[in-house]
Amino acid sequence: MRLAACWLATLALAGAAAAADENNDLDLIPKSEAPTSREEAASPTSRGNQRLFIENALTLTTPRNDLLVPSPPPLPPSWDERLFADARFEYPLAPNASITYSGRLNLVLQDDLGFPNRGNVNHDLREIYASVEPARRVYLDAGRINVKSGVAYGFNPTDYFKAFAVIDPLSADPSVLREDRLGTLMARTQRVGETGSISALYAPKVTDPSPVAEDPYRGFNPLFGRTNGTNRWLVKASQRLNEELSPEALVYHEGSHWHFGTNVTTSVGQSVVAYLEWSGGRRLGIIDEALAFGRETGTIPPLVPDVITQGGEEHFQSQVAVGASYTTENKITFNLEYQYNQAGFSRSDWDRWFALGQGRPDSSPIVRELWYIRSYAADRQEPLQRHGIFLRADWVDFLVPKLELTGFVLMDAQNGSTLMQLEADYARTDLWTFGVLAGGTTGGRRSNFGSLPRANSILFKVMRYF
Amino acid sequence: MYAASALAQSAQEIVAAADKVRNAEQSSRSTLVLTEYVSGQERSHSTFVLFSKEDSAGNFRNLLQYVEPPRDAGKRVLLDGRSYWFFDPASQSSVRISAQQRLVGQAAIGDVLTVNLAVDYSATLLGTESIDDAARQKRTCWHLELKAATETAVYNRVEYWVEQGTFRPVKGKFYSDSGRLLKIIYYRNYMERLGAVRPAESVIIDAVDSTLATIAVFNESRFQDVPDAWFQRDYLPRLQIR
Repeated sequence: MRLAACWLATLALAGAAAAADENNDLDLIPKSEAPTSREEAASPTSRGNQRLFIENALTLTTPRNDLLVPSPPPLPPSWDERLFADARFEYPLAPNASITYSGRLNLVLQDDLGFPNRGNVNHDLREIYASVEPARRVYLDAGRINVKSGVAYGFNPTDYFKAFAVIDPLSADPSVLREDRLGTLMARTQRVGETGSISALYAPKVTDPSPVAEDPYRGFNPLFGRTNGTNRWLVKASQRLNEELSPEALVYHEGSHWHFGTNVTTSVGQSVVAYLEWSGGRRLGIIDEALAFGRETGTIPPLVPDVITQGGEEHFQSQVAVGASYTTENKITFNLEYQYNQAGFSRSDWDRWFALGQGRPDSSPIVRELWYIRSYAADRQEPLQRHGIFLRADWVDFLVPKLELTGFVLMDAQNGSTLMQLEADYARTDLWTFGVLAGGTTGGRRSNFGSLPRANSILFKVMRYF
Repeated sequence: MYAASALAQSAQEIVAAADKVRNAEQSSRSTLVLTEYVSGQERSHSTFVLFSKEDSAGNFRNLLQYVEPPRDAGKRVLLDGRSYWFFDPASQSSVRISAQQRLVGQAAIGDVLTVNLAVDYSATLLGTESIDDAARQKRTCWHLELKAATETAVYNRVEYWVEQGTFRPVKGKFYSDSGRLLKIIYYRNYMERLGAVRPAESVIIDAVDSTLATIAVFNESRFQDVPDAWFQRDYLPRLQIR
């Protein structure tokens, strides 16, 4: 009896002690009042889908001096100072209609650009389009629209409208490249059903395609030659099969070429998302395609022979991205992705590329042709390497809250050369963000990334949101 | 009476009853204001519009859009069963995220969503305790242990205190797979909302770095019909907040 009483007393004491421990957590509650009555708290409708910020970005670049194949001028500027206002507004015109604008007004200074001249101010018209919903969840859009497809983090084979759309990128991070790009003039219709969606779009040719080389004096030119140089259309549909799987299928037509694609994601446990993205169609290899495009746009004179070729014949070729992301308890998200581009450079293509260009002056037509191929692939946002490994890490609240560290490495699996970037962004307040970004390439002189004229770069930026 | 009530209730029923206190069964729209604190000082604010709808299995589907801070305005997150998508209007792209990734960030969206704990966890009654609520008022509570029972469960284990008689949740402690205490949440400021008396605020304490805390306030809540079609990736770019 006495033993039982002692046991009950001990339990009661233990319970009381546990409750007292629980009450210690109350000391961690902030004493300040929550902003229920803050007058400055934005109303959902006042801000809606709008974003406006001003950014100043200074980039310093170190060239690579030991190139086997010299890069024709102009070389990358050793410094680049950009001040820009970036806006995205979506205005409702009626309950079932809206208009969207997205663009950037740049003030540019570079070591070889001079000041003042008409290259100092330019405007990137990323999007401007109208949307209406004539029937329940049936949409019609018309204008310049940035259509993005795909689920992979690094390379999106089914993102057909990425080609030639990126201009003056400040970062090599694929997630940023998706943001800083031009939309395409098109008419689009979409129906969103209960468990799936289908959309069809047509993007007409409105002008001749632009050459690959960027025009530093583009000013307010909307650059439709980059996005609407040929007739294109796309049909895509997704269907929810279960609560895990919603694959997407795509059919794309450009000029006289058909491409087919699909992408799918699935979660694996609590921390992993795996994905697969594929696209295939009849096409030339990247070398032959680049040279044909160069002739079409007049960049390569018609009488200059092709110094290098991948056979010059079209055949069915695939592009694949397969990978997974993994998030740790420490708020780090890793992404590992394998990239395959059948139309890219094989080992023998690289051998020929270096053998043809080695020892020639940068004014040589052959050297210009060789570098044109690489510029074309970069402008199409298409990997030049046939096999690539992409590793990205994103650490939210690194060391202190609101400091985000992001880095990636893209490796050419055939020669081990890499493109790397590390970025730190500190959101000092809700309105101000400071950041620094360092990028570089590594590899031997006969490798993909080790033969690029830009060796290292560092960027400092300040952003103010409104 | 409370003891008799406890006997009459299984642990799972207690958790289900507490879910009904926190969440309305009809689809709804709420505006959430999150204030983040560092060492007791306000650090930043976020505002979301949150649409919630319960499916036939008792799981909530959530769709939210950022309104503040300005850098995040317009971004959207879809959480539907085991499928989570993040949409950024700047790139017009949707990225699938994992259950773990929705907990990233101090004001983790995973902690402010409408969730029925009774669906995702199996509960065990540990006993009765008298603990202080967030206003330091004594509350006699059932102390429950919840273990993840589905893949949609955000945390591996939860300690949960529910006031006897009212079934009002008072406090939760949320643990990772490795047993690490990640979050402590107090439910407070009970008031009339969505047709019943429900908590209008949650205090979310970061147990890993206890200098960090977030207060989530439901500013506006109302019933709203939310079509099933909204809860899919392809609808994210079409969401309009009016």
